[in-house]
Amino acid sequence: MQDANLQRRLILDIPTGFLLLFFVMPLAALVTLSFWQTENYKIVHEWTLMNYGTLATERAYITFFLRSLVMAIGVSVTLVALSWPIAYFIVRYGGRYRIIFSLLLVIPFLSGEVLRLIALQGMLGPAGLVNGALIRMGAAPLRMIMYSNAASFIAFIYLYLPLVVTTIYLSLINFDFRLAHAASACGANRFRIFTEVVWPLNLSGTIVGFMLAFIPTLSASLVPRFLGGPNGTLYGMSMAQQFGESGTWALGAAMGVVLFLFSAIALAILSYGVDLRRTGFTGLGRQ
Amino acid sequence: MSNTSSYIRIDKVSRRYGAFKALDDVSLDISKEEFIAILGPSGSGKSTLLRLIAGLDRPTEGRIHFEGKDVTELAPHKRGIGMVFQEFLLFPHRTVRENLAFPLRMRNEAKAEIEERVEWVAGILSLSTMLDRYPSQLSGGQQQRVALGRGLVARPTLLLLDEPLANLDRELRQEMEIEIRRYQKQLGIPFIYVTHNQEEALSMSDRIAVINNGRLEALGERQAIYDHPQTPFVARFVGKSSKFQGVVQPDGATVRLARHDYEFALPPDKKFNPGDAVEIFVKNERFDISSKQDGGVGIPSTVVDVVLRGPFLEYVLETDRGDTVIAVKPKRNDPIPIRERVLLSWNPADCHIFKDGADDARR
Repeated sequence: MQDANLQRRLILDIPTGFLLLFFVMPLAALVTLSFWQTENYKIVHEWTLMNYGTLATERAYITFFLRSLVMAIGVSVTLVALSWPIAYFIVRYGGRYRIIFSLLLVIPFLSGEVLRLIALQGMLGPAGLVNGALIRMGAAPLRMIMYSNAASFIAFIYLYLPLVVTTIYLSLINFDFRLAHAASACGANRFRIFTEVVWPLNLSGTIVGFMLAFIPTLSASLVPRFLGGPNGTLYGMSMAQQFGESGTWALGAAMGVVLFLFSAIALAILSYGVDLRRTGFTGLGRQ
Repeated sequence: MSNTSSYIRIDKVSRRYGAFKALDDVSLDISKEEFIAILGPSGSGKSTLLRLIAGLDRPTEGRIHFEGKDVTELAPHKRGIGMVFQEFLLFPHRTVRENLAFPLRMRNEAKAEIEERVEWVAGILSLSTMLDRYPSQLSGGQQQRVALGRGLVARPTLLLLDEPLANLDRELRQEMEIEIRRYQKQLGIPFIYVTHNQEEALSMSDRIAVINNGRLEALGERQAIYDHPQTPFVARFVGKSSKFQGVVQPDGATVRLARHDYEFALPPDKKFNPGDAVEIFVKNERFDISSKQDGGVGIPSTVVDVVLRGPFLEYVLETDRGDTVIAVKPKRNDPIPIRERVLLSWNPADCHIFKDGADDARR
């Protein structure tokens, strides 16, 4: 009896303590800091909304934020559109090689993010593989992909494609394709089989994939730093600078809170905006 | 059946997967208002035949006609069929009402027409009270009825049923057998019912097509299939029977069992040569049991067990050579006691005799 009690407390208390210490506490610290000020690399313990005022009024921050938002939406939508055919192909035609195909997708993850970005720099830069080849052929280099938002976009796609494909793959592999046969026997053509049965029943998996790309893109700092160029500063990169070079930690904390709230809102819209019973969502168990 | 009167015509259809013949030269004519069962063991090709009729698969050879029109190359959604699957395959993200309306919406019917048809089908299938539930909130029998309704709602040319009762418990199955047959008679469209369960085939259908190893083994009225099987496979597969080996005696008129001391006269319509090895099938309910003291002839056996099956008694008998035979008799108040010594025989007209190896010779 004693033992069982102790065991249960260990199982519950250790993760709870861990979450409190390393998840809730830093978040609380971040929120608190965002209502303080920093002056000359020192924190001033004075309650104020000035940081949020700055973020809401200064053009640069508004631009950074909108750029990040548009980038995150564009990247996530593109990734879903790209990943569906890939995942669908693996699930339907991969046969016994399905597991190998899905493992191949993960290979880029075996190296670090910085390394992958440097590799991309080599591909897209002024003397990189693409532009180098163009120059050697006597053509003009593509300025669009040199240190620009387009370069960042390509990098985001490259970074998160495996995540989104894997998520949609996992959704599709658990989808009963005999339902598509049933729809066909009910008179549905290929297009309507997709829109009425396959897509809605994999919607929750697709939303998870979308969010897995959306949230890190919204707060990304490494990609714009390596590939964004002068006009490619994103919100997350600016935030990182507040904690680094500028030493304006309180403003950075406020930016963090803004990002947190926005991601939470996006998640809330997507999960409350759809009726889970109508999306093939199985996370609630059988009802 | 003539070319013009057949509603559904399956003409010399084959389906190969590489070297494997899933279906081999099957021809079948189905008339309107007919309930036909396609009966066969698993892997016999019966489901392949169903998928070909539905258009979910294409034949390697042969043609399929609906009402005189060649539909062989037509996609499933253009064939105007209804289909009911073994696993029901209801759309889990749609309510019962939306599941029933689905085939109508796919045909772009008007809203009022859709509502009317859904009400109609919910009425005949007693689903009216559960139209707003999701499939996961229904019992197996209710899901089965929704699946049936979805197959019937859009006035299909024919209804295909792929072992629709296999996932239901025994009691519900017997209830649904009667229901489904009633709907078929009420609607007047052909039902093609695929099953490996010979009892279902016998209780529901007008005709039975027996499929084995991709070939049409037998086709006929259910009574004829049951009482006069034309091949050893049908004799073994339809109904419950026991098999014996025997040899035709030099007089050419009697058969002697190989393992048992029992002889009986060949029925006059059976022609075999003296010395032929034959297989004899006797349906369980066709055995005669006489007591040893009566001095009759038969296979000496011992009653091992008596199983009560409602109005019938199942005698489990062990012959003196150690074979187990089951004989079914109407229930009596004084059943033969266990361990009683008896003689097992049958009326020669009631058994089915085939030349040994007839099954293999046909291939």
